Amino acid sequence: MTDPEVYLEKLSDFSRMLRLKGMAVSPRETEDAAKLLTIMGMAEREQVKTALRTIYAKSREEQLNFDVVFDGFFLSEETMRARAKEHAKRDWEQEQARRKAEEELEQYGDKVQLTEAERESYVVMSEDVRKKLRNIVERFRGNMARNPDLYRGFIRSVFAKTIMEQQLMMEDAGTGCEASDPELGILYRNIGEFRDTEIPQAIAMIQKVARQINGELSAKRKRSGNTGKLDFRRTIRKGMETGGSFYRLSYRKKRSRRRHLVMLCDVSGSMVQFSEFALRFIQSLNQVAESSRTFLFSERMVEADAFRLQNMDLFRNYVRESGIYGMGTDVGSALEQLCGEHPSVLNAGTTLLIFSDAKTINPLRAIAAVKEARRMAGRVIWLNPIPEGKWKYLKSSRTMAEVVTMISCSTLQELAAACRKLTMN
Amino acid sequence: MEDDPVTIEELKQKMDETQYVYDDTMATVLFVALTLGRPLLIEGAAGVGKTEVAKVMASALGRDLVRLQCYEGLDESKALYEWNYQKQLLSIQVNMNTEDKDALTKSLFSDEYLLERPLLKSIRSEKPVVLLIDEIDKADEEFEAFLLELLSEMQVTVPEIGTIRSRSVPFVVLTSNRARPLSEALRRRCAYLHIDYPDMEKELAILRKKLPHVDDRLCAQVAMAVHELRSNEAILKKPSIAETLDWAGALDALGMRELTPDALRQTAGFVLKNNEDIASADLCGEKNGHCGHCGEHHHDRS
Repeated sequence: MTDPEVYLEKLSDFSRMLRLKGMAVSPRETEDAAKLLTIMGMAEREQVKTALRTIYAKSREEQLNFDVVFDGFFLSEETMRARAKEHAKRDWEQEQARRKAEEELEQYGDKVQLTEAERESYVVMSEDVRKKLRNIVERFRGNMARNPDLYRGFIRSVFAKTIMEQQLMMEDAGTGCEASDPELGILYRNIGEFRDTEIPQAIAMIQKVARQINGELSAKRKRSGNTGKLDFRRTIRKGMETGGSFYRLSYRKKRSRRRHLVMLCDVSGSMVQFSEFALRFIQSLNQVAESSRTFLFSERMVEADAFRLQNMDLFRNYVRESGIYGMGTDVGSALEQLCGEHPSVLNAGTTLLIFSDAKTINPLRAIAAVKEARRMAGRVIWLNPIPEGKWKYLKSSRTMAEVVTMISCSTLQELAAACRKLTMN
Repeated sequence: MEDDPVTIEELKQKMDETQYVYDDTMATVLFVALTLGRPLLIEGAAGVGKTEVAKVMASALGRDLVRLQCYEGLDESKALYEWNYQKQLLSIQVNMNTEDKDALTKSLFSDEYLLERPLLKSIRSEKPVVLLIDEIDKADEEFEAFLLELLSEMQVTVPEIGTIRSRSVPFVVLTSNRARPLSEALRRRCAYLHIDYPDMEKELAILRKKLPHVDDRLCAQVAMAVHELRSNEAILKKPSIAETLDWAGALDALGMRELTPDALRQTAGFVLKNNEDIASADLCGEKNGHCGHCGEHHHDRS
């Protein structure tokens, strides 16, 4: 049997790649993977992939991430061949370009006295710029010989532009690197400004913050376990089991103040992203409410199937299938529908959460409906993705904030704070 | 008890003997968990056969199956151990006049008065067993935390006795319907497998293997109809594999050789378990004159 050490180095790199993808990988998993590879070998790629996936990925979401990293790290034979071919082609093309550039430089380079750095830049210059340079040299060949300093300055300016463009590209690369760090920016940036590529990081961040809140909640519950008052009925009943001796005392438990949660999510075009993030947050929080019901709305409202909402990765598909995607926002109509068609949903024990930017058709009707909902529900909280500083310029947000408790949730940080507040109270 | 398989092929051979339909992915995952001695966490919708995996492994490995069904409020007295209070009290009364009180107290917390519950039973067993912790998502978070010691160290701590290490390493299978997210700590200690509903081909293979006496054409029609029902978004409770088997068995028992709309209507209760689903399934829903479920024959529309 091969020594596991043989695989450890490669697998350590692989584990590091998985960590960069946001997965929590411990040294024990790397050790397990090495042990396994010594038994199974690496002859069958698919089998190795399944085996390592079993060890490293601990949920459906992690399995998807794992597959991406694995396919990039352990290349299949076909991929390796294709890449080698691609590299060879690219090398050949670059070599050709270099040769051509050198030939051209042999012709013109001495005349314009190029430095070594400029010669390097000439190789990567676009054909248009090269043509421009060639034309200058051709046209002013005679003048250049008589007054080289004058033309030299002009030619240098062409090179300076190319060098500057290259520098800008390098700076851009730095920005990309910063953005790939989930700790930087994502938490404090406006949700509406997220690029598609940043959404998985944002989701990972939501899960991370939700875990922290869960931990806080759990600690809080432990601290406030019972009221300290003896529960006589339970103590006596338990005592019956032990022949009448009070072997174990039972204490009165603190009454749970968890409420029933009703969520009304605006899924009109621009709001889907925010509603998805807010729902992900709420769902990741354990025991935020005794029960919850979710309604989606744009110009009309539909109740969301709780089972399908378990897989939030398919939320957008679900919204599209519900037939309300891409319409405008009508808060008034949605709330009227909620109060009219589901009168039992809102009662004194209910917290109604509205996820919307308050930009609604018929604001007066919306205000009246919100007032009615506030009367029926125990608590109404509006999570608004528009930053609080901008509310004063938006009549809809300003007016609605006067009627109902409105919390600004323009960033993930604010959304987390709102959810924390919701669970702690 | 048989020896544990040392290659995937050996495991496959053993699983073949149990009449279980599996794919390469599942065999590899089971082999990995077994080889590394890691608990296996299986997630998937209700009725995809998560529990069955534990039963099959018990049968394939020739081990006893110890099952712990989780529910809200499950605590260590139901899952791990409990003292036999009645017996302890009786012993106190019988030995009331004994001189050595310390020895009496000590004897009260010995194996004689210990009631083993599934978790303790599984680790104190001389022969390794398969321990099924079913529907872990139904248990409270506290219980989940309590399991961590068992899952990572294969030991449990009983305050009156001390730490009990496992005599044999059980193959632990945890199942979850994802009713609530499980803690990261628990996940990290387990190997992971997600099971989806089987595709039509696999479902047909299951039907053929489990119900060899049922007509092949009927099996194919049932598999196709179930596949259609599962892909129908309006149906809330998707039919499980067990229900597919029940349905095919019921049709066969009624002497039906083909899944006609009448047969479908009469036996719908075996596969759809609430009125809304039966209404949504549109049991007479025909597409282009073909049956909406078996997709084969034509019906009289008069």
